[in-house]
Amino acid sequence: MEKFFRRNFAGYAFLSPWLIGFFLLAIGPILASLYLSFTKYNIVRPPQWIGLDNFVYMFEFDDRFKKALQVTFTFVVISVPAKLIFALGVAMALDKGIRAIGWYRALFYLPSILGGSIAVAILWRQLFNYDGVINGILRLFGGDGPYWLADPKYSLWTLIVLAVWQFGSPMLTFLAGLRAIPQELYEAAEIDAAGPVRKFFAITVPLLAPVIFFNLVLQMIEAFKSFSGAFIISGGSGAPLDSLLFFTVYLYEEAFSYLRMGYASALAWVLLVIIAAFTAIAFWTSKYWVHYENERG
Amino acid sequence: MSKLNRRLFLGAAGSVVALSALGRPAFAQGTQIRHFWWGNPERDRRTFAVIDIFNQKNPNITVSGETLGFADYFTKLTTQIAGGNMPDVIQQGYGVLFEYIANGAVVPLDDYVGKSLDISRIDQSAIDAGTVDGKFYALSIGANSHMAIYNTRLYEEAGITIGEGADFDPYGYTYDDLARIGAQIKEATGVAGTEDNTADYQNFSDFIAQKGVAMFNEDGTYGATQEIVEEYWSTWQKTREAGATPAGPESAGLAGVSDLSQLGVVTGKAATSYVWSNQLVGAQGLVEDPLGAAMYPNTPEMIPGSIIQPSQFVCLTRDSVDPEAATAYMSAFINDLDMTGVLGLERGIPSNSDVRAALEPTLSAAEAVSVAFFDAIQGKTAALAPPPPSGSNEVEQTFERVAVSVLLGEKSIPEVAKDFLAQAKAILARA
Repeated sequence: MEKFFRRNFAGYAFLSPWLIGFFLLAIGPILASLYLSFTKYNIVRPPQWIGLDNFVYMFEFDDRFKKALQVTFTFVVISVPAKLIFALGVAMALDKGIRAIGWYRALFYLPSILGGSIAVAILWRQLFNYDGVINGILRLFGGDGPYWLADPKYSLWTLIVLAVWQFGSPMLTFLAGLRAIPQELYEAAEIDAAGPVRKFFAITVPLLAPVIFFNLVLQMIEAFKSFSGAFIISGGSGAPLDSLLFFTVYLYEEAFSYLRMGYASALAWVLLVIIAAFTAIAFWTSKYWVHYENERG
Repeated sequence: MSKLNRRLFLGAAGSVVALSALGRPAFAQGTQIRHFWWGNPERDRRTFAVIDIFNQKNPNITVSGETLGFADYFTKLTTQIAGGNMPDVIQQGYGVLFEYIANGAVVPLDDYVGKSLDISRIDQSAIDAGTVDGKFYALSIGANSHMAIYNTRLYEEAGITIGEGADFDPYGYTYDDLARIGAQIKEATGVAGTEDNTADYQNFSDFIAQKGVAMFNEDGTYGATQEIVEEYWSTWQKTREAGATPAGPESAGLAGVSDLSQLGVVTGKAATSYVWSNQLVGAQGLVEDPLGAAMYPNTPEMIPGSIIQPSQFVCLTRDSVDPEAATAYMSAFINDLDMTGVLGLERGIPSNSDVRAALEPTLSAAEAVSVAFFDAIQGKTAALAPPPPSGSNEVEQTFERVAVSVLLGEKSIPEVAKDFLAQAKAILARA
């Protein structure tokens, strides 16, 4: 033990800022939130233990909780595949070796850096306003655009478009993956008279599967946690008619508008379980479609 | 680290900063007081100027100002409560104040009255409004009421005469008058005559009173009935169908938005908007055309609906570092003639009679409109209701949310009304 300590002391010493931060700023609040999820807590008064009441209320009586789940699932199910397909498409176009590729890579990545920012969400609001740029363009072509943000039929789509627009980071990963596919395979396929579609499904997709899987899991988690766009565009309330009531927006509203911190903590743990479950499902199904080159099968 | 230690540390750090900035001895700086309010550019400008005056007059107290828009204000306050670092002096409104008092975030002022805090010239009604269970908690800055503000140029262009017995009587017009006048303005100027209040809870609360019902019954249950909610939405639907308002979906996009810059009279999308009376000064700062002031529309029975209530309070928080200094600042904020002179009427009609008298000769045009409005509504308003029960805030937001489906025509009015009342009941039961 003593030997272990002496040998590793320097390492732990150098790690200590991170370790202290991890225990104080991550583990501590996580445990506190687990405890609070079993309490009624309005911040000012001490928390009051109520057992499973928060969870019972959530699943049995809370219609907005169900609505929030529905909105979030819709968003994840549509935006994640759309974003990945779009990212792959752009990556394949860039892979063809166009000039100034570095410049394009930076340009396409830019929205991902800006994407989570409040400024972009506000900009999005302006673009999709009834008097905004999007409808201005539609009017040029003689159409009359809808009330994108005020009409629950369209509002979620504006956020899905916003999410797809932030395709930069999966695109870069795809690009790296594409570069790693040996060109000989395509050449061999061409000799066998395979068309582009055949080449895509027989070579690109299987060899890219690990990268697709990586992007899928990462983007799915991102999408479940997505917050700032919906928060800004809906004015913090999930409006119109709760069509933008993302799970995180609902959680925030319960916590900070209505001071139900205990209930909000319970919501946060439900979200954690959902994300964990979906990630586990993704890993489980990956056995059947993701193969790694160094695997012996 | 205990709270006290961190305070001392922050205080010391603050003094060092002040020392380096001003070159004064650290200990002569004395106390640091933080004042936090929700505002708009006009209010912020005035309040920071007031703080400067106070700091000059009181070299041993340093007040620093913090401000946010209304939408973010309470969120930040909530995190500060959790962190145990609320500013010393905070702004509160009649709606949520009582939840803060009940939860102990705001503390009584009784110990300081007559010492650091002078309330001898404050209207008794204002003191009563800040008193709960015999304890005095909240210092009212000024009086407030619901106000319709209208673009006088557009009214003129549409040929509408204003005054008692004219086309538009600002202190005695009905919803039918509004629909008629609104359509006339739209016809003449292309601008909708009025904003659509289907999702406006302030207007709805007036309407409840105009129907002769209290918003909350004695037992804390919700006062509005299915018939009243339906009638309210139908009234606005008629106004909309008369062509007096912007299109339903356009109004839906603004439901729950409280920013002055988004008001119809400011954006030029409507000739009439609905605000708290103290917001007139801020709104006028954003519009070139002179604004006029009117009461909210009434039903043909003309039962008073609007109330005169404290616009805002300044309160002392549980976390105050130095309540003596904080209350001295609060006292100056409502009594000192130099400071109140800068504030003017931006936070409502002052509760201190001396301050009112001193302000009179200096009023701006918008402020003069505001004073004339207050004179005119005396005797035409309803009695101040007891403080709303907890959960009322959530009922209000629920109203604004579900009313959107009326504006979009998604569901029938009776259906939405039923849905709203069911939710209000559930919220009040859970609170």
